[in-house]
Amino acid sequence: MPDEKQEEKKEEQPAEDLKNELEKLQKDKDEYLNGWKRAKADLINYQKDEAKRFEEIMQYATEAMVRDLIPVLDSFELGIAALEKNGPVDKGVYIIKTQLEEALKKKGLEKIKVSAGDAFDPAKHESIGVVTIEGIESGKIGEVIESGYALNEKVVRPTRVKLSK
Amino acid sequence: MAKILGIDLGTTNSAMAIMEASGPRVLENSEGNRTTPSIVALSKAKERLVGLLAKRQTVTNPQNTIYSVKRFIGRKFSDSEVQHDKKVLPYEIREGANNSVEVKMGDEWLKPEQVSAMVLAKLKADAEAALGERIEEAVITVPAYFDDSQRQATKNAGEIAGLKVKRILNEPTAAALAYGLNKKKNEQIVVYDFGGGTFDVSVLEVGDDTVEVKATGGDTHLGGDDFDKKVIDYLVSEYKKQEGIDIFKDPLALQRLREGAEKAKHELSTAMETEINLPYISSDASGPKHFVMKLTRAKLESLVQEFIVRSIDLALKTVKDAKFDIKDIDEVILVGGQTRMPAMQEAVKKAFGKEPHKGVNPDEVVAVGAAVQAGIMQGDVKDILLLDVTPLSLGIETLGGVFTRLIEKNTTIPTAKTQIFSTAADNQTTVEIHVLQGEREMASDNKTLARFILDGLPPAPRGVPQVEVAFDIDANGILNVSAKDKASGKTQSVRIEASTSLSKDEVERLKNEAKMHEAEDKKKRELVDLKNTAESTVYMAEKALKDAGDKVPADIKDAINQKVEALKSVKDSTDPESIKKALSELSQELQKIGQAMYKDQPGNQQSPGDNPSTGEENNQ
Repeated sequence: MPDEKQEEKKEEQPAEDLKNELEKLQKDKDEYLNGWKRAKADLINYQKDEAKRFEEIMQYATEAMVRDLIPVLDSFELGIAALEKNGPVDKGVYIIKTQLEEALKKKGLEKIKVSAGDAFDPAKHESIGVVTIEGIESGKIGEVIESGYALNEKVVRPTRVKLSK
Repeated sequence: MAKILGIDLGTTNSAMAIMEASGPRVLENSEGNRTTPSIVALSKAKERLVGLLAKRQTVTNPQNTIYSVKRFIGRKFSDSEVQHDKKVLPYEIREGANNSVEVKMGDEWLKPEQVSAMVLAKLKADAEAALGERIEEAVITVPAYFDDSQRQATKNAGEIAGLKVKRILNEPTAAALAYGLNKKKNEQIVVYDFGGGTFDVSVLEVGDDTVEVKATGGDTHLGGDDFDKKVIDYLVSEYKKQEGIDIFKDPLALQRLREGAEKAKHELSTAMETEINLPYISSDASGPKHFVMKLTRAKLESLVQEFIVRSIDLALKTVKDAKFDIKDIDEVILVGGQTRMPAMQEAVKKAFGKEPHKGVNPDEVVAVGAAVQAGIMQGDVKDILLLDVTPLSLGIETLGGVFTRLIEKNTTIPTAKTQIFSTAADNQTTVEIHVLQGEREMASDNKTLARFILDGLPPAPRGVPQVEVAFDIDANGILNVSAKDKASGKTQSVRIEASTSLSKDEVERLKNEAKMHEAEDKKKRELVDLKNTAESTVYMAEKALKDAGDKVPADIKDAINQKVEALKSVKDSTDPESIKKALSELSQELQKIGQAMYKDQPGNQQSPGDNPSTGEENNQ
């Protein structure tokens, strides 16, 4: 009898081993499959991120170019102001300025609208000094010194103003 | 799990970053900028402003605009630094309870940590807006020399801002983390941090999972701002000499000059010379005046030389304080925007005799490091699955002994790549696949991994057969190369066990060799490419003439034949110009055959293959 029992156990043993083995493999399989899925998902997500990043880079490239052109607009305005002091200025000069502004407008650049007497808003304006102007409340914008610009609604250069004393 | 925000709370500017699955990411603030001025103000309209907005009203509201408050945080009022700074800062500073420092903004007396908390609160809010989730915890960096009281005050600032401060991290340690140097064992690291207003040097020692600060030094009143000031002073005085106009008296002109000078400074990091153009900067009785001045890199360097020399002296002194020799220093890290200046990088390199780390944006490296620390704490930075890369490029030899890469170096494995090649001669029935590894342009300069022959190709004109060559590297670095004739389906393959098991030194040697021979290899390669093009054009021309038969007038045929002979005679020469010339003459002549006829020719595919090895065709 003891022999018979031994025999049974022997038969059970391999079955038990196989079961363990199966369980282990099942676990391994799940782990690998998960890892694979995760890797695939990572790639897909990365591709999405990459597309987004590309868009950002494109926007950044435009921004960099527009930023470089803003000083040119400044010089234009200063130049026209200087010319106007000496008498009438040829219309063509104004047209060239409009042309440049229109080209930049297509890229999303807008001049910040502001005039003397407006409230000072550091989100759009930068104060560079004070000025005494009759009839304008203290702390309000007294004089616009240099135009400001927003690119796709983001302020890339605030309007430089002097505040009323 | 909520993210932990990594914050570099700087004296002049602050930055923030978080750890994502793909690595650390610097977050933009609500104005769309990656750095935020560490400035707080109470506007004339009694509105609290933080960051860029506070900066924009500094000029007209200096008494209520608080900047550089980091200089006071956790300090005693009687400290000599506090007494010094008190004299130069435009806002009011007084002694509070227990010898503490208080600053005045509006009618309120604030502790420095309250001011810093306002900056931190903005960063927190902007980070939440950018991520669309709540941020409750942070890692905040401080200079390595900060004492307990300064660290505690910084921690308090975080708590006031509603952040649970998980760790106060040393700035140089953060920089080392950003470069992954914490994984090194027993290394000495120098962190050279040249900020806007402060210069810090730290010597770190990396042990087993610990980073220890061995010494700190520097100058709390030396920074990039000194460079800017020096340059502006120079430009203004030069202009005064030229035009007799003092720009310092005109705030707008000065502002324009500042911007122009800053742009010039940045440009001189890459260019040797730049011009500052500011038309209509001013005017006098004679009319408008313009500012046009050239600034060379050499001039800029001579202007700021004294600062660079001083910083290097301080750096060397700090190494000495740490009881190390220069030769003990294993790594040098550059932090701070000013370190982009080539002269500064050169000076550091010369002083320490090694190339400093500078890959991570120097304005952001501390914030990135803080995010890495945050990542470690939230458990993101675990190397779950380490993927290997191929250290060297893998490819085959093609027409003219050229090495054609299929898998570029540093490609993450496992990976596979397939490309179609063709034959170089008419009726070629075998191709040899010569598998190579290396970075040189010519096959013979690279290492042979295997050779095998695919035969039984059906006879066809050159360029017609399609041989698909596939490279496949599995995760264990085992490379399988197979070649398949698409017409007959015949396949040959080879298995190479040790495609990635080169020693580090060997890989380095091969890479260096490739670098050394880069120019000469490129020339050789171009010549072979040219020769290949010449041969295929000759082949095409002869075939076109034959196929066209009598349809082409004899005079055109003769002219073409003449050009073909001319090209044949020079194609094996080593003078690329003469080949190019003959090639373009023949191409022009060929156009006369007429496009219709030209289009009808079979087998005029690009770059036909060679004999015995294959030639490259189009990518699949």
